[in-house]
Amino acid sequence: MSTPVHVPRVNNNDDEVKLVELKVELGVQVSAGQVLASVETDKAVVDVEAPAAGYVIAIAAQLDAMAQVGSVLLWLGSTADEAPPALAMPDTAAATDSELAPTAKARALLLQHGLSAEQVPASAGRLSADDVARFVVTRGPALAQPAFAATGGSGAGLEGKSVALRPDERGMLATVTWHRDVAVAGYIELPYDAQPWEAYAKQLGQQHALLLNPMLALMAWRLVELASQTPKLNATIVADRRLEYSAVNLGFTVQAGDTLYLAVLRNAMVLGEVEFVKQLIGLQRRAAAHQLGPQETQGATIGFSSMARWDVSRHVPILAPQSAVMVAHAVDAKGQAVLGASYDHRVLHGAAVAAMLRKLSRPPKVDGASA
Amino acid sequence: MPRPIPNFAFNSAGKPQIGCDDRSLFSFGNLIRQTEQLILDLFGRGLLSGTTHTCLGQELCQMAVVRALQHDDDVVLSNHRNHGHFLTYSGDFLGLVAEIMGREAGVCRGYGGSQHMAVRHFHSNGVQAGMTAIATGLALERRQRGSPSVVAVMVGDGTLGEGLLYESMNLAAVWKLPVLFVVENNGIAQTTVTTSTIGGGNIAARGAAFGLKTWQLNDADADFCAQAQRIVDAMRDGIGPGMLVVETRRLGPHSKGDDLRSAQERERIDQRDPLAALGRRLPASERSAIEASNQAFLRGVEAAALESPVSTFAVVPTHALRPATASVPALAQPTDAANVRLAINTALRTLLTHRPEVLVLGEDLHEPYGGAFKVTAGLSEEFAGRVISTPISEAGITGAGIGLALAGRRPVVEIMFADFMTLCMDQLYNHAVKFPGMFPEASVPLLMRTPCGGRRGYGPTHSQSPENMLVSVPGLTVVYGSHRHNVGQLLVDAVTCWPNPTVFLEHKLLYGEAQAAGAFASLPAHSDDLGSALFPTLSSGPAEADIVLLSYGGMLPVVERVARLLRDDEELTVRIVAPALLTPLPRHALRAALLGSPKVAVIEESHHEYGVGAEVLALLAESGFSGQVLRIGMPPVPIAAARSLEASQLPDEKSILARILGMF
Repeated sequence: MSTPVHVPRVNNNDDEVKLVELKVELGVQVSAGQVLASVETDKAVVDVEAPAAGYVIAIAAQLDAMAQVGSVLLWLGSTADEAPPALAMPDTAAATDSELAPTAKARALLLQHGLSAEQVPASAGRLSADDVARFVVTRGPALAQPAFAATGGSGAGLEGKSVALRPDERGMLATVTWHRDVAVAGYIELPYDAQPWEAYAKQLGQQHALLLNPMLALMAWRLVELASQTPKLNATIVADRRLEYSAVNLGFTVQAGDTLYLAVLRNAMVLGEVEFVKQLIGLQRRAAAHQLGPQETQGATIGFSSMARWDVSRHVPILAPQSAVMVAHAVDAKGQAVLGASYDHRVLHGAAVAAMLRKLSRPPKVDGASA
Repeated sequence: MPRPIPNFAFNSAGKPQIGCDDRSLFSFGNLIRQTEQLILDLFGRGLLSGTTHTCLGQELCQMAVVRALQHDDDVVLSNHRNHGHFLTYSGDFLGLVAEIMGREAGVCRGYGGSQHMAVRHFHSNGVQAGMTAIATGLALERRQRGSPSVVAVMVGDGTLGEGLLYESMNLAAVWKLPVLFVVENNGIAQTTVTTSTIGGGNIAARGAAFGLKTWQLNDADADFCAQAQRIVDAMRDGIGPGMLVVETRRLGPHSKGDDLRSAQERERIDQRDPLAALGRRLPASERSAIEASNQAFLRGVEAAALESPVSTFAVVPTHALRPATASVPALAQPTDAANVRLAINTALRTLLTHRPEVLVLGEDLHEPYGGAFKVTAGLSEEFAGRVISTPISEAGITGAGIGLALAGRRPVVEIMFADFMTLCMDQLYNHAVKFPGMFPEASVPLLMRTPCGGRRGYGPTHSQSPENMLVSVPGLTVVYGSHRHNVGQLLVDAVTCWPNPTVFLEHKLLYGEAQAAGAFASLPAHSDDLGSALFPTLSSGPAEADIVLLSYGGMLPVVERVARLLRDDEELTVRIVAPALLTPLPRHALRAALLGSPKVAVIEESHHEYGVGAEVLALLAESGFSGQVLRIGMPPVPIAAARSLEASQLPDEKSILARILGMF
């Protein structure tokens, strides 16, 4: 039977000791109490003795190297040719989720280019920064341009202070660059009577004791519903084919101080009306506190933006990358409500957008049926 | 020199010379009484800052020992009820009255007020027993220097409930110091009668239990002051520490309006009044003449105090630190060392060899033990009398260190585990940092060394990193080096070039770690960052990194491993910034290093809420930082002893990595 001889603890403050001398060789016979080795801390040298008589059948520690206290220094066997116990094998368990996730650098690049990990193939194992860079280059000049070059020119000869963009500003630059260089954007708008929506929102807010006016969230939920019913609204063009997304990921603009977020509520189509409203309000709160998670700032498949707070009569929104519709809600100073939409003409034509806006301009019937 | 006092001359050091005859004692005692009455009158007129504690009825008790301390090097340490001690020591009546009024003519320009005054070797403070351990340090310095002086520390019977008093009496006994503990037993602690607070009932027996020579006097005895003189003389002859218990009575309340004693009892105290009895021994005409001339003198004091402008700061101070003194190249320490323990041991040896003013105090420092972590190994025999193993009295030896530092020595006090710094806190928080902040002449170059940190399975009271608590003490410097710093040089510089109370933290795990700068280099020190040239902030990695990891002390080796994983596995560029000076924080250098980074994570082993990381990130927020931040540290729960539990609590490679990846 094999007997392990362990690296001893010399004092409580040293978890590792140095093997400074090995007094036996493989195969030699030793007696109980015989000094086998010496280990050293920076305070003392201690002998390691054989706990029993036997033969040295394996030496696990390395001379002049640090050895972990409690690890096996060597094995003693009852015969010289006894096989030592198999060394513990390293853990070969299947790779975990985090081991297959993109590297942190790759994730940062995905965010910068408005891409999601699912869009970019990994060359091997984890998605790497190189994979993303290669994808961006092969997907055309629009994506390939580094964000800082998208403003045009090198800046040579211009006088002034050069200020680095914040992460959210870089994201915005990537978005507008995609809108300009990839999408073929059109814009349609429709004035509508805001009163029915307001009444509907008020009634639902009271019914569910909501603290905030849920009207915009309800309109967004209606947009999600329409997108579920009409796949072309929730689509984009990839390699000359139309990709109709399987999920409706609603992007909702939130102005948090100086930062404009497109906060994303994923898989919005599976939520009920009230649950959707509650989740969207929670998302808005996190955005206002700059606490959105990485998955909440990217991957929108359709968008909703309101500038009602600003009393403007119209705003023409920028499309989120790889989306076809961004609805624009506004109420001017006289109270005239307007629904507009930027849309990618490669995916949709104006009539489909106008039909969508008309449906969106009316709340669901109070009995719950859609208008 | 204070303004002349009727009937008394000053000696060359500025101390009034008071004879032991009835006329002299009555004359000065009456001056004190009239001063206290003036102070009460000013209080009634709303002219004082805060409250005050008069010694009415205890004038002779307060005078007796102080008047007998005639050596220029003698020390008087007092407490909240100190006016009689102060006036007998200094003769500065205007200084006292103006101080309590908060006027420029105050002895401390109104900074300290009634309870906190300092002049020459007189020093009072407002925490019960707080000065007693400091007395032992002052006395140790004097004895080592061969001075024949006596250190008198005045306490009241109320102080007998404080533990530090007993640590101090024990230290004085063990070190055979000329400290006279004077217990002014007025029978009442604020409003609580002494008989209900003194277990056993025998005050002198407490001193005797520590081997102190004890005396009991009554200030109503006709020859009380002469008896006190003989006791001081005996102390000066070197009989060792003593305790003098003086039976006395307070005529007035503890402070203001808090006298619960019966009218009957107060009547008895009035009739006992030793000062009045002394006056009655003088001819009535002489007594009246003395009272009249004292009254005239104090009218002048009052007028001068009222004329003195209300105290103002020319510039409101924003810190209480003295600038670094010049560095001494002769004490340069090697940048690399086999391990950090050896680097500190070498630095201590250097200091003891080249700086005679350096002393090392701590528990179990003697050979062959050499301290719990062997940092002082080999020093106690080579530097006998300067490497001192002490009783287990953390507060006491901290106070002793303060006394030594006030007397010009450079004490290095070792506290065996940083967790025990709580026991030192009153001495640091209310004493060490207060004196230099209040009194321009006072300097407390005290250095407290202490091992901190976990990952050793020592459990909740031997594993903590208490820098979060220490950095919040105003005026305390906290230095916490890492294996990338030249730790020996940090220590040498802290002891020789940094004249401020300082805590020097040493992580237990770093003791065995090789000391080498590796890829780290110092950030440029900014001239407005006090101390940053002595205690540099290091950094490694590119200036334009994806993320900056700010860490220090024993957490740095862990953070270095995390940085390697972020580089190798996550393709990130990483910069590490590692300050050695936790307070005063090198704000300019940190702003310059961190402000342009997109992401900053601060990683501490400490219970970090309200701690160092919070301060660093607040600094960034105030400076307009727009990137992402993260704080990692120990949650506010006790650290477990079981290694498995402890490992899941303290931030380690795995947990830090997971939190950081959440930022991307």
